Amino acid sequence: MSPMHWDWLVWFLKANVIYGGLLGTAAGMTLAERKVSAWMQYRHGPNRVGPWGLLQPIADGVKFIFKESLTPDGANKWLFRCAPALAAIPSMLTIAVIPMGPAIPFIPGDYKYFSITDLDIGLMYLLSIGGLSIYGIILGSWASNSKFSLLGGLRASAQMISYELTLILSILAVVTLTGSLDLRDAVAAQSGAIWEWHVFSQPLAFILFSIAAFAETNRHPFDFAECEPELVSGFHTEYSSMRFAMFALGEYCAMVVIASLWTTLFLGGYNVPFWEDAPWFLCIGAFLAKTSIFLFLFLWVRWTLPRFRFDQLMALGWKVFLPLALANLFLTGAAVSYGVKLW
Amino acid sequence: MVIVRRKDLSLLEKLYLPEIARGLSITFRKLFEKKITRQYPEEPLPTNEVTRGQPRLVVKDDGHIACVSCGMCEIACPAYAITIDGGETDRAIEREPVRFDIDMLRCILCGFCEEACPKDAIYMSNELELADYSRAALVYDMEKLKRPKAALQKRIDYVYRLNNRWRKSSSTR
Amino acid sequence: MTKIIINGREVEADPKEPLIHACHQNGANVPMYCYHPGLSPVGSCRICQVEVKQGNGPARVVVACRTPVVEGMVVDTEAPKAHETRRECLEFLLKNHPLDCPICDKAGECDLQDYAFAEGQGEGRSNEPRRKLDKRKSLGDVIVLDEERCILCSRCVRFTEEITKKPQLAVVDLGSRSTISTFMDRPLQGNYQGNLADVCPVGALTLKAFRFQARVWNLKKSLSTCGECSRGCAITVEVLRRKDVKRFRPRYEPKVNNWWMCDTGRFSSERHNATERLVPAARRGSQGLEIASVERALKQAAEFLSGAVACIGSPFMTIEEAQSFAKLCSQLGAKPAFVSPAPSGLKDDLLNTGDPCPNRRGLLELGFEALSPAASRARIAAAPAALLAGERVLELCERAQLAAIRGPRIATFDTHALEGDACDVAVGIPEQVEKSGHWVNIDGHVGKLTVARAAPAGVQALTRSLDELRALLTSSGVASR
Repeated sequence: MSPMHWDWLVWFLKANVIYGGLLGTAAGMTLAERKVSAWMQYRHGPNRVGPWGLLQPIADGVKFIFKESLTPDGANKWLFRCAPALAAIPSMLTIAVIPMGPAIPFIPGDYKYFSITDLDIGLMYLLSIGGLSIYGIILGSWASNSKFSLLGGLRASAQMISYELTLILSILAVVTLTGSLDLRDAVAAQSGAIWEWHVFSQPLAFILFSIAAFAETNRHPFDFAECEPELVSGFHTEYSSMRFAMFALGEYCAMVVIASLWTTLFLGGYNVPFWEDAPWFLCIGAFLAKTSIFLFLFLWVRWTLPRFRFDQLMALGWKVFLPLALANLFLTGAAVSYGVKLW
Repeated sequence: MVIVRRKDLSLLEKLYLPEIARGLSITFRKLFEKKITRQYPEEPLPTNEVTRGQPRLVVKDDGHIACVSCGMCEIACPAYAITIDGGETDRAIEREPVRFDIDMLRCILCGFCEEACPKDAIYMSNELELADYSRAALVYDMEKLKRPKAALQKRIDYVYRLNNRWRKSSSTR
Repeated sequence: MTKIIINGREVEADPKEPLIHACHQNGANVPMYCYHPGLSPVGSCRICQVEVKQGNGPARVVVACRTPVVEGMVVDTEAPKAHETRRECLEFLLKNHPLDCPICDKAGECDLQDYAFAEGQGEGRSNEPRRKLDKRKSLGDVIVLDEERCILCSRCVRFTEEITKKPQLAVVDLGSRSTISTFMDRPLQGNYQGNLADVCPVGALTLKAFRFQARVWNLKKSLSTCGECSRGCAITVEVLRRKDVKRFRPRYEPKVNNWWMCDTGRFSSERHNATERLVPAARRGSQGLEIASVERALKQAAEFLSGAVACIGSPFMTIEEAQSFAKLCSQLGAKPAFVSPAPSGLKDDLLNTGDPCPNRRGLLELGFEALSPAASRARIAAAPAALLAGERVLELCERAQLAAIRGPRIATFDTHALEGDACDVAVGIPEQVEKSGHWVNIDGHVGKLTVARAAPAGVQALTRSLDELRALLTSSGVASR
């Protein structure tokens, strides 16, 4: 077998493992969401399907598949059917460039890092593809021919545009430090001691990124696209069955991706603190643990904070976060240009 | 007119983040507190003699039903849930029901039958669960309604205690 | 007429009747157990005591049922003294009367229960046990006696002495051991035993057939007329849960039956609880008689009813039904007739006439011809087509022999279809307790029938079916003659 075939096989294996992990995590998040919310409210949460309710996501999936899929009368049928896929696929694609661990020594022909692909403009790719997921939401909401859906879609698009700026500017601050759009470099720059992590060198960018991440994934307290007290169920009001599940899947995948990105950019990626040459499985473990922290944060915040008002969201985005992010980028750029070591 | 002013927020409060952290700490602590959910079918609700569940017929200690099919509960029932047909017996108590149906779908668990009964024959038990696969199965006949007196004794005592407040003597017992 | 004052109001009273009758006539509610308007007063229960003042004499408490009406007497039925005396009487009566109203069949229509509820004191003052006697002593096939419940009013004794004139009951033994009994415990005889349960003011005498069957307040009561003989006793039909006819009871009608009725009529209620009925109609098809709608059955009947049709009605037809039938007969060119069976042999000198045709007089006055069952069958057999209408017409024509007739095409209007191949069309009709109308009894008194129970769904009134059939014949060209 030629090295090229080995490459293909390895790539195939890694893609399966990582995508399986992504979808599994997304499914697990639906259970975790219900469990965590229950625990915070003195409840048990789902506990009937399997031990401790662990098989609940499977039951949900089966239910979604067997439910009737309704299409509203005045809907644009073609777009209505495409939209869930458009919403789910971009967030799944973006996981490809996240480096989750170092090269695994016993797999011959492995790429240097444990990731599906290895782009030197990984960040660029991630942001541009990730930005596409809003199309699914807008098209779905428009194609539903429902005023609630459309309002939800409009809100989602406005929110995405506003917060994408903050998100990108805070990422750019990190990029300015590392000088590369390659996520491997970002991880490498944070190796070694724990204070090498960008969370300490870029605390403001870290906070802005975290908050913008909530808005980008349409999570509480910024879930204006759904906003059930005002818009019934927002952009997916008219969706049922597996199409509805696709939207949910897209949202949870986006959460996993953004949590991975957060880990990679600010928490040292797969680096094990104070142990530069840690074995590969520990590195992957560290990566997963750090990502889990942020995933938990998503749930934790959702079941703690009430939803903002839409004007508050816009004011916050444009009047507070954008200037702060610009100032942060400007200061970081100035410091790097003049060679001032910030940390 | 009263002008209610909102409290001026301090700088820390205006920053939100500390307050958000405070909120998060509260919910995080709640994660580990004792759950108050009752796992219903496995842990049934506690009942006592005041529980007014479904009506049941008393079977006396001699094995005979206490009901004499006098029809008082039938006429007292506001939902017309009860149907009784009488019949003759060889015992000193000459009459007993040959058919005593309670349509549990109609029964509203009001307890009028218990109040109307002159023979201590029908009491509201602590049985609350009512589910079946057909309507016909929920029309309970005498065999489904019979309960030994001991099973209803607490409720019987309670009703007597309650009624003795205004009952001077018990000459009709 | 004598003028007396009852409760401060001057009224006219019949001097031949006792004072209690005048009180009841004028709205004074005087309780009574031993007194019955149809029986001689004896004054044994003492519950009807009222205060009476005559001339300048002092006010005295007397029993109203044994006091004759005297000009100028002042009666106060609500005087405190009278109430007190009545309450004392009641307490004595209840001393030994068992408190088993929940079991007792009389509950709900019991004079003792009603008055004890209105005036009684609610609790007993004695600790002695009640007397123990026979709870179920059979007095023949009809009546059961509960000796404990008996208050010895002797109404039943007087009924056998005065109404049936065949004394069979007596109060035997002395004091608290007194009971009602027949001579040597022989069973009661006669066709009027059922009335004993009616005259009994408490639940001592009960009908075996009705015992513990139903609570009386669940019975829907409708006025009606008995159809067992041409006397046409006024009755009340009592129906349980819109379905079972539980009782026929006599209704007071001074021109016909007073308060009484015979057992034959009383227990004819059983006939109306038959489960099999023709609903709503049937017609002959390829598979024999098939259930069909009334409309379809009438259409088929109209096809073959022409020419010399034999028209036989039932003596149970009401005047209204007979009129529709007579019109149909004249359209078909036939003479209306009804089947008149032989006398039943139950004739007595009290009520029963022995003639089983309740509307004989009404039908005869409408110009119907009375035919014996044999003559009816002969007329049917001779005709090309026959029309039989009215409740029980098939039974009175003797079904088996009727079903054996071959030749004519027969249309019947009865509660049941005719078996065999004889009948082509059968239309269901309401029973006696399911229709309203009038019968004329043997003395010319009009007895009324009202709907005590709805006919089965789909069954329509006989008058309507006959009129619709007539309209069909008219449209198909059978000219009215």
